[in-house]
Amino acid sequence: MAAAGTTPDRRLDELQADAAAAAEQRRQRRYLVRSLLRSPTFVVGVLIVLFWVVMGVFSTTFTQPPALPHPFAILQSPSASHWFGTDDLGRDVFARTMAGAHTVLIIAPLATVLALLWGGMVGLTAGFYRGLTDDLMMRVVDAFLALPIIITAILIISLLGRSYAILILVIGALFTPVISRTIRSAVIGEREREYVMAARLRGERSAFVMAREILPNITQPIIVEGTVRLGYAVFTVATLSFLGFGLEPPSPDWGLTVATERLNLQAAPWTVLFPALALASLVVGVNLIADGLSSTFSK
Amino acid sequence: MSVVEPQVDSRDPAPAALDVRDLEVTFHRRGRDLPVLKGVTLRIAPGEAYGLVGESGCGKTTLAMAALRYLASNGTVDAGQVLVEGRDVSTLSDEALRKWRGEAVAMVYQDPAAALSPAMRIGDQVAEVFRYHEGLSKAEALKRARESLRRVALPDPDATLRRYPFELSGGQQQRVVIAMALAVNPRLLVLDEPTTGLDATVEAEILDLIEELRGRIHAAILLITHNLGLVARLCERVGVLYAGRVVEEGPAREIFTDPRHPYTMGLLRCVPRFGMNKTDAALQTIPGTLPALGEPLEGCVYSARCPMAKPVCIRREPDLYAWPGDGGPRGRAEAEAMPPEPAAFSPHHANPVGEAARHARCYFSAEVAQMPHLTPVLATSLEARGATAGAVLEIDDLVRTFRDGRRKLTAVSDVSLNLRRGETFGLVGESGSGKTTLAKCVTGLIAPDSGTVTFEGKRLRATAGRRSQDALRAIQMVFQNPDSTLNPAWSTRAILTRAVRKLGSGGSVRAKVDKLSADVRVEPRFLIQKPSDLSGGQKQRIAIARAFAGDPTLVVCDEPASALDVSVQASILNLLVELQTNEQVSYVFISHDLAVVRYISDRIGVMYLAELIEVGSAEEVFNPPHHPYTEALLSSIPTLDFGDRRERIALRGTMPSLSEPPSGCRFHTRCHRTLGDICVEQEPPVQEAAPGHTYKCHIPPHELLAAQATAEPAAPIKA
Repeated sequence: MAAAGTTPDRRLDELQADAAAAAEQRRQRRYLVRSLLRSPTFVVGVLIVLFWVVMGVFSTTFTQPPALPHPFAILQSPSASHWFGTDDLGRDVFARTMAGAHTVLIIAPLATVLALLWGGMVGLTAGFYRGLTDDLMMRVVDAFLALPIIITAILIISLLGRSYAILILVIGALFTPVISRTIRSAVIGEREREYVMAARLRGERSAFVMAREILPNITQPIIVEGTVRLGYAVFTVATLSFLGFGLEPPSPDWGLTVATERLNLQAAPWTVLFPALALASLVVGVNLIADGLSSTFSK
Repeated sequence: MSVVEPQVDSRDPAPAALDVRDLEVTFHRRGRDLPVLKGVTLRIAPGEAYGLVGESGCGKTTLAMAALRYLASNGTVDAGQVLVEGRDVSTLSDEALRKWRGEAVAMVYQDPAAALSPAMRIGDQVAEVFRYHEGLSKAEALKRARESLRRVALPDPDATLRRYPFELSGGQQQRVVIAMALAVNPRLLVLDEPTTGLDATVEAEILDLIEELRGRIHAAILLITHNLGLVARLCERVGVLYAGRVVEEGPAREIFTDPRHPYTMGLLRCVPRFGMNKTDAALQTIPGTLPALGEPLEGCVYSARCPMAKPVCIRREPDLYAWPGDGGPRGRAEAEAMPPEPAAFSPHHANPVGEAARHARCYFSAEVAQMPHLTPVLATSLEARGATAGAVLEIDDLVRTFRDGRRKLTAVSDVSLNLRRGETFGLVGESGSGKTTLAKCVTGLIAPDSGTVTFEGKRLRATAGRRSQDALRAIQMVFQNPDSTLNPAWSTRAILTRAVRKLGSGGSVRAKVDKLSADVRVEPRFLIQKPSDLSGGQKQRIAIARAFAGDPTLVVCDEPASALDVSVQASILNLLVELQTNEQVSYVFISHDLAVVRYISDRIGVMYLAELIEVGSAEEVFNPPHHPYTEALLSSIPTLDFGDRRERIALRGTMPSLSEPPSGCRFHTRCHRTLGDICVEQEPPVQEAAPGHTYKCHIPPHELLAAQATAEPAAPIKA
C-alpha cells in the first residue's frame, strides 16, 4: 500500500520500509492462519471439503467409470468389488458418489462468487449512500427475498432451459438479496466511522471510499457470509437436480441420483443412502468452515 | 512469598476494610505472561476514602477486580493476599464469596448503562437486591427499593421504579447503580471511574451525592480514577500506581501539594490548572510513552521516563520509602554499592518501609520539588499569530434540525460566530448541546438547514462533496476517537501519502509525508505500521498530521485529546499550540473539559441546548459577569486547589429534550438565578458585558457581576 504510485526516485530506505510493512502484514496473516488451524471446527470442515474437492477432480482416475453399467450386477449390495453396491443399471455406486462432487463443486462456488459480486455492489451502494437510494434498493431486495428460491428457480429454468451457466446465474441471482443485506449492514457500521469522514473531507470520490476505504474493513463478514451461502448453494443445486430442474441423467450428481434411485429405496437403500450422505457431509463441512471462520474472526 | 506479619494491626485494633499485601497478578494472553500488579500493598481503614490514581494500563481496575475476586479467567494471583475486614478473600468458598459480595462489598462501574439490565424495570432490579440478599417479600422489597432511590436523591422515586433504564439519563442511571450498591450497606465500596463519561454538571451532582452519603454510611471507599481533581475532592488518602507498582502513597492533600515522586509531579504538571492559558505557560509533558501491559522494566519502573533518573535508578528498584526520612538516600547508597548488574524488580522490596503516613518509591524524593521543567513551545500572542481584524470564518444564523421519527430535534439553533486567522475558538457545552453538529456544519460533513458559512469572504457550499478541493484543503478536522480516526486497513504512511496527494500543493509527496510525521513527532519506523499497532497518542498525532497535509487555514478539533491519558493529552495540546504558532492556523476547539478549553482558546463560546448563549475572550467568559449556566459549569469542575471554597451550584432537574426546548430562556428550567415569569415567557436579549463579550440573559451585566462577585474568584494559579 505504501508503495502506491510513488515517484521513480524510490530510495533504498523506502524499499526497506515497504519490505518491513509487507513482513508485518505477513506476520498478521500468519497469526490469523495459525489461530484458524487451532480451531477444530475449521480444520474438520476443511478436511471434509478438501476430500470432496479431491474426489471431484480425481475420482474418475481410480474408480470405475461412473456411467459404466454392469448388466449382470444390478442392485447388488455393498461388497469388495462394489464398495457401495450397484444401482438399477448396475453402475458402481461408489464411483458415482465420488464423481458426484464434481458438478456441484463447480456450480455452487461459481454461483456464490457471482452472488457475492452482485450482492457486494448492491450492499455497498445501498449502505454507503443510504437515504432514498438505500430505501429503493432495499425494497427491491425485500421483494426478491419474499420469493421462494426453489420455485422461482424452477420457473426461470423452465423458461430459459437447463445448462450449467443458467444454473449458476439463477442461483447467483437468487442469493444476491441475502448477501446484499449482510454487506449493507457491515457498510453501515463502517461508514459512520471517522476515517470515512476524513476521506470525505479529502474530497475522495464515492467509489474510492467504497472500494478502498470501506471494503478492506468488511472482508471478514463477507468471507463468513460467502461460506455460509456456499453451503446453501450446494444444497440448492442438489434440490433442483432432485426435482428434475438441475442436472440431467446420466450425471452422477447426488441430488439427481437420489431422485432417480428413490424407487429402489426399499430394495437397495445403498443407492440412495450414499449420495445422500455425501451431500450431507459436504454441506456440514462447508458450514463447519463458516463456523470456524466466524468464531476466529470475532475473537 | 512469606506471610506478612500483621504488624500494622497493633496500631489499629479494627481490621482494615481492605488490606492488600504484596499482591502480584499476572495476565496470560496469547501464550505470554504479562505481570500487571507487581507487589502492591495498600490499606484502607474502615470508613476511609482512598483514591487510586494512574493512567490506563497501570493496573488500577485489576487491583479492584482482584480485591473482589472478580479477576478475569486469564488472570491469576501469583502472590500476596487480599484481606477484607481481616478475612482472606482467596479462602472463601463460592457460596461464602457470593454471600460476602452481597453483604459486605459493592462496586460501581464506569458505564451505568451496562450495569443495569435494559429489559428490567428499575424497581424490579433494585428490589432484587433486597429479595435475594435479605429474603424480603416482593412488596416489602419494592418498598425498600423506593427508600433507597430516595436516598440517592432521585426525583419522583415512584415513577422511577416503573421506568426502564433507557428512560433515565446517564446521571440518573448512575444514581440507581449507586442506590443498588448501597442497598446492602456495604462496608467497602469500590468506585471505578464513577463519573467518567458523564457531563460536568452531572459529575458534580454525583460527587455531591457521594460526599453527602459518606456522612451517613460508614463504608470505606476505594475510588479508582485518572482524574486527580476527583481524588482531591473525595479522598483522604491517595495511592499513585504506575506500571503495576505503587509509586507514592499518602494523605491526598500532601501528595497533591507536595509530591515526592517524579511521576506524581509529572501528572500534576501536565494537567492544565484552572485559569491557565497557552500564552502564560506551556503544559509540562511526561517524556516517553506509557509502558505496554506487562512490559519488562529494569530497575525503577518509571526510570525510562523520569527527567531525574540517574544510572542507579536502573541498577536496582527503589523501595517504597517513608517520607520524610532518609530511606531514599540510604537505599540509593545500598544500590550503588551493589555490583553493576541491572536487576529487574525485586518482590521482597515491595512493602512500605516504616510506619510513616507517606511513602514514595524514589531515591531522590527530596529533589522532586526541583524536578527540571521541560520547555515546550509557549504560544505566541494572538497578534503574533497573524490575527487580523478580518474574520477567516463567519457563521451566520446557522440552523440544523434532525428528524427522529415524528419528532424534530433542533441541534443547532440560530448560531452566529466568527473566527480570525491564528485564533482558537473554544466551544464548550454538555453532551447534546450541539457542539459537534455545529463543527460538522463548518467542515461540510453535515449540511445546515439554513444559515451561511463564509470562509475568507466566500460563502461555502453546504457539503464537503460540493466544495472545491481548495476549500477542502483549507478546512480540515481532527476527530475524537483515536481508534476509528485512521483506516485500520491502511498503513500509516499510506494514510498520510493519500492525504498529501489529495490535499497537498505539489512538490514531492514523500518529502511532505516525512515532514508531516516529523512535525507531529512520530518516528519514521511507525509509518510502516497499521493503526492497530500504534498507541492512542500516536494515532491522534497521525490524525493531526493528516489534517495538516494541505497546510489548512482552519482545523476543527472535536475533543481531540479527550480519549487520551492526561500525560498524552498534554503533549497533544502542546503539539496543537506549536503547530498553530508555526503555521498560523485557526482552530475551532471542542471539549467538555473546561480547563483544557480555557488553556488552549483565545475566545470561547458556550452552548446550551443548541444555542450559543455566551461568547467572549477566554478570560472574560470564565470570570464574572457571565451567563448563569457558565457559572454553574465552572463551579462543577473538581480542582486540585485545596483552598478552593467555591460554592458548587447544583442545577435543577435534567437537560430538557431538544425536541421540546423550554419557552423563553432555554435555561430557565434549571437556572439558579431565574427572575420568574420573564425568563419563562420572553426570549432573553443579547447583553454585552464587555466589547466582544456577549451573553443571552435577562439579567444585565452589572447585576450579574454583583451577584456572582460574592463567590470567590478562582485563586491565581502558579504553574
